[in-house]
Amino acid sequence: MNGIFDQLSIGFGVAFTPLNLLVAAIGSFFGTIVGVLPGLGPINGVAMLIPIAFAMNLPPETSLILLAAVYVGAEYGGRITSILLNVPGEAAAVMTTLDGYPLARQGLANVALSISAWSSFIGSLIGIIGIVFFAPVLAKWALAFGPAEYFVLMVFAFCALTSLLGDQPVKGVLAAMIGLAISTVGVDANSGVYRYTFDHPNLSDGIAFVVVVIGLFAVAEMLQMLENRLTGVSIDVPPSVRKMFNFMELKFTWWSTVRASVMGFFIGVLPGAGASVASAVSYAYEKKHYENKDPDAKFGRGDLRGLAAPEAANNSAATGSFIPMLTLGVPGSGTTAVMMGALSLYNITPGPVLFDQQPQLVWGLIASLFVANLMLLFMNIPMVRVFASMLKIPPWLLVPGILTISFVGVFALHTATFDLGMVVAIGVIGYLLRKLGLPMPPLVLGVVLGEMMEQNLRRALSITNGELGILFQSPISIGLWIAAAAVIVGPSLYKRFKAAK
Amino acid sequence: MALDDRKLGVFALALAAFLAWYGHSLEAAFSYEPIGPRAFPLAIASIIALCGLILTVKGGNRVEPNSQGANVRIWLMIAILSGYAVTFQLLGFIISTALMTLLVARLFGGTWIKALIGGVGMGILFFVVFDYLLDVVLPVGVLGAFL
Repeated sequence: MNGIFDQLSIGFGVAFTPLNLLVAAIGSFFGTIVGVLPGLGPINGVAMLIPIAFAMNLPPETSLILLAAVYVGAEYGGRITSILLNVPGEAAAVMTTLDGYPLARQGLANVALSISAWSSFIGSLIGIIGIVFFAPVLAKWALAFGPAEYFVLMVFAFCALTSLLGDQPVKGVLAAMIGLAISTVGVDANSGVYRYTFDHPNLSDGIAFVVVVIGLFAVAEMLQMLENRLTGVSIDVPPSVRKMFNFMELKFTWWSTVRASVMGFFIGVLPGAGASVASAVSYAYEKKHYENKDPDAKFGRGDLRGLAAPEAANNSAATGSFIPMLTLGVPGSGTTAVMMGALSLYNITPGPVLFDQQPQLVWGLIASLFVANLMLLFMNIPMVRVFASMLKIPPWLLVPGILTISFVGVFALHTATFDLGMVVAIGVIGYLLRKLGLPMPPLVLGVVLGEMMEQNLRRALSITNGELGILFQSPISIGLWIAAAAVIVGPSLYKRFKAAK
Repeated sequence: MALDDRKLGVFALALAAFLAWYGHSLEAAFSYEPIGPRAFPLAIASIIALCGLILTVKGGNRVEPNSQGANVRIWLMIAILSGYAVTFQLLGFIISTALMTLLVARLFGGTWIKALIGGVGMGILFFVVFDYLLDVVLPVGVLGAFL
């Protein structure tokens, strides 16, 4: 118990430095804007900022705080357009439209906005408490992992991520493999052999992770926008009698918020399932839970509980998804994979030893998540109009702005024109692959984990001189293989079971 | 040309063939470990080939083709971005960004006047923000004498 307080005080010491407070505030603000803008989600915001944070020579913990603040900020921002316009600002906010928009149409827009900000805050808070208690335990357990266990763990992460995304697992596997293939480009660390470099000097260090993410999440995204050619929208926050929710409404939604937060946290910790799954599951649960009991429940027609639950869940899931990245070094979602790539720029490899070796980084991040959420709560209630007005930025200004920021970041990395050309090429390929229904998160995970996966495999096989048996030896690996098989077979079995019923 | 799963499958097979063909010759001069630099890429190539085979055989999932106008816009956008990549260092940040913004803004339906003001404004504003305020060094290019 004492240990936790010591560590938290290290964390708050880091979080309360003026630079980190400023960065958390800027990140929260920027993140909310990214969340508000339809088509841009946390992954795009984080991808754009990584190289810039690095070029500004921010220390690693500060840069991670910035990215984390953007991530949670986007989860707050996504709800604003869901409620006001019936347009989810990002994927996890889809469920928020179901009850949020009807509430706004009943003249309760401000109540809906403020109660959802509150439930987002509670969701994050429960997620943070979860990290504080579970992460160190998991990290300690993961110390027992050898190279074979690590390799199998990564296989499990891929299985979880691909089987939960979409109905065509083949495409998920293909995406993951393309990502892994990208990671093999460059000089091989063990043997010094150049792989897939074509004797080009710019490729000898491999394809930079930042180049891949910006290509996929900035350039490809803009091509997508061009296809639909969105027009700017101007909206007003409809006037309503009250600015804030009242105590009755707080009590009314309290248990839904808490239940959804706890559920969201555990869903977030699992690799693969993220904020979008969490919000959908918790909404479905609350609806089922109350529809039999409460004759006044009006889910889908403006029930405050149907608004509070998914918002709490998506924030606690976003927070919980830091756990696998921080403790195991194996991110479970696209956005945390991108963040892990950011840490690799600083030559920091997340994993169990991080808690011992870089406590200021880990606990600083955790404390800053709390600080950023507090800021977001206070920013989001009075400043809703400011954020909503961001939608007035016309696309003809927004798109070049995003492209410029992306190019600045990529160029800052190596000051190489080659990288810029590469970003455009990867963007075009990414656009085509997305059109063909290839999911992007497994691809990003492949790029991030590729080197670690290969190294662990080779190390494991060195122990047994090439014998594959070591991958199936320890109880941990066997358990992970079973879990991996379960996540692949599980969903289709469940479907069949349901159909039979 | 409409895209579908069969085309994706063919692409995957081609990628696998390339990875395998190039990866086959990867050999360490002398090696301390049982698994050299070749095994991992070849394993990936075979899984990609398997996925490609499944997709090619199954086919289907035709993607709704873009409208003619959208395709023209996308080709233009790719051309503009390639131009931006090439001129970024050559002409310098301010000029290349102003040009890119002008053209992309036109593509997204901004008027010439708005696009021009937006472009010049964006070039100068971002240069000041990044180069002077945030310490991210940007190429000055042909304006080098003035900055």
